[in-house]
Amino acid sequence: MEGLLMIAAQVMSVWFTLAFTLIVLPSVFGLSLGISEFYMRILVKTLEWATIRIQKGVKKKQAMALKNSASSGIIQRDETTMEKEIAGLRRVDFELSDVFYFSKKGIEAIVEDEVTQRFSSEELVSWNLLTRTNVNFQYISLRLTVVWVLGVVVRYCLLLPLRAALAAIGIVSMIVGTTLVGKLPNSRFKDWLSELVHLTCSRILVRALSGTITYHNKENRPQKGGICVANHTSPIDVLILTNDGCYAMVGQAHGGLMGLIQRSTVKACPHVWFDRSEMKDRHLVLKRLKEHVADQNKLPILIFPEGTCINNTSVMMFKKGSFEIGGTIYPVAIKYDPQFGDAFWNSSKYDIVSYLLRIMTSWAIVCNVWYMPPMIREEGEDAVQFANRVKSAIAHRGGLTELPWDGGLKRAKVKDTFKEEQQKNYSKMIVGNGPTGNLSMGAESD
Amino acid sequence: MGSSNSMPEEIQELADKTGFTLEQIEHLHRRFKQISGDQPTIRKESFDRIPDLEFNPIRSKIVRAFFDKRNLRQASVGLTDEINFEDFLTIMSYFRPIEMNMDEEQLDHFRKEKLKFLFHMYDSDNDGKITLHEYRKVVEELLSGNPHLEKESARSIADGAMMEAASICVGQMEPDQVYEGITFEDFLKMWQGIDIDTKMHVRFLNMEPIAHCH
Repeated sequence: MEGLLMIAAQVMSVWFTLAFTLIVLPSVFGLSLGISEFYMRILVKTLEWATIRIQKGVKKKQAMALKNSASSGIIQRDETTMEKEIAGLRRVDFELSDVFYFSKKGIEAIVEDEVTQRFSSEELVSWNLLTRTNVNFQYISLRLTVVWVLGVVVRYCLLLPLRAALAAIGIVSMIVGTTLVGKLPNSRFKDWLSELVHLTCSRILVRALSGTITYHNKENRPQKGGICVANHTSPIDVLILTNDGCYAMVGQAHGGLMGLIQRSTVKACPHVWFDRSEMKDRHLVLKRLKEHVADQNKLPILIFPEGTCINNTSVMMFKKGSFEIGGTIYPVAIKYDPQFGDAFWNSSKYDIVSYLLRIMTSWAIVCNVWYMPPMIREEGEDAVQFANRVKSAIAHRGGLTELPWDGGLKRAKVKDTFKEEQQKNYSKMIVGNGPTGNLSMGAESD
Repeated sequence: MGSSNSMPEEIQELADKTGFTLEQIEHLHRRFKQISGDQPTIRKESFDRIPDLEFNPIRSKIVRAFFDKRNLRQASVGLTDEINFEDFLTIMSYFRPIEMNMDEEQLDHFRKEKLKFLFHMYDSDNDGKITLHEYRKVVEELLSGNPHLEKESARSIADGAMMEAASICVGQMEPDQVYEGITFEDFLKMWQGIDIDTKMHVRFLNMEPIAHCH
């Protein structure tokens, strides 16, 4: 028994030393030892091999046109406006024909609607050897199955414990580090130290997820006194961004572990955490954020204006609140590569713990981050228009589609005001013709 | 490494019956599960989950059409409470695009089926004709979104349209002749020569999920 304990202690110490030298130390200095790159190269080769095998195994006569349109829908919609289509159909002065148009639109909506499909994970064009993405794919060959089993073993028995341990180290050091830094008096040294601690822990946590992030246009990185705005796919977005810079977070104060982290980090660096009651008061929130932004020495705020997690194929409506604060907006586009691991958090399907487990048992998290040049609200532009402008820019940069819909539709129904707008358009059209129709009728029936 | 495919023979049967391809059926099946919340049948309430549909002024008529027994090719009339996937496909097949290899007779039959679907939407009491009353109801529903529109306008539009329909179908009417309603033959007459087939279909893209072993 003692012997076993001794051995266990030895293994643990060796392991910890390894972890420390290979991961923690480089994180402090922002260096990379190339281990992740090596892992990624092997991974890419394996997946390519798997794809080729799958292609060979298919017994179809048609050529394999691998379109990337798996997520863009299964029906082709007519882009002509309502007015044109209805005018084209009109034969009787009225609406028998309009029913054609509306019933077609209705059926199209039933077959596929743009909104609901954004709240489920993106479909892959080719299988990536994870069971969870295996919706379309069937048994191909023995070799593939063997590789898949090997993959399961590697992911669950090797990578998962490693990652979980790293995550634990990262979180603990974040809490301890920021609490220690918080004890210092306010000074430039304290700010520098807190930045170092935040960056280090962030890097450790990103490595805990085998994250491979490519940052583009680093010269556009958000500056102090600005507001950083990005599209939202998962809670990991925060880590992705803090891996490369320091931000002041904005959010609701939670309880539990999250609350602990929040309380300790706020001592080191002025993050903005709101109580639940304060969140309801929009003016209060706006005021606090305005104060923060006005101070040019404070770190840029990080905000996700969509308000909820979207599945990274599109960008939904940006809530105008963030754009009313004023100041310079630094848009950032984040696009994950779904081939290596699906980062989308479907909060109605999975809770945070199962989500984290899924992330830790994926191959890796690969993403691209584009920093975009700053934008300011122009003369005569209101908050909504500004929000839409920023949204288009982000969608365009990241290669995502743009939707006018509200992310809140995940849970709620369409707002009645929105509905009425549309229906008013239609009835305007009809009544426009109505009086003339009546006149001619009047003449005839006389 | 299992997949969500049910037995291929069942799917083949459905494909033969409704005219969809196997891939289209798979996609529609997934959509069906989404709408039904993974249940085997859908009810009217399930359509509430579709935001896009909320904007449609004749939403309730469209949803109703799914449960209309006449559209489901059942012998009886009235509405059923819930439909399964096969019924869902049957309704969808009304909106299939025409195929290149159809002959005259098939085209004609196809067109008639589509027009019949629309006719059923108007003719809610199933007496075989669209009366003035039913017409008015449809117009009111189409215009229901605009609260500023008075009922009178809706009525006059319906009346005017009905008159025009009468003149097309019956020609000059005697002063005391009452136009009972638009029968299905009249309905067909109104649309003669107009190419409605392209207006009333939903175009499916050619989707091929990779690695499909049949």
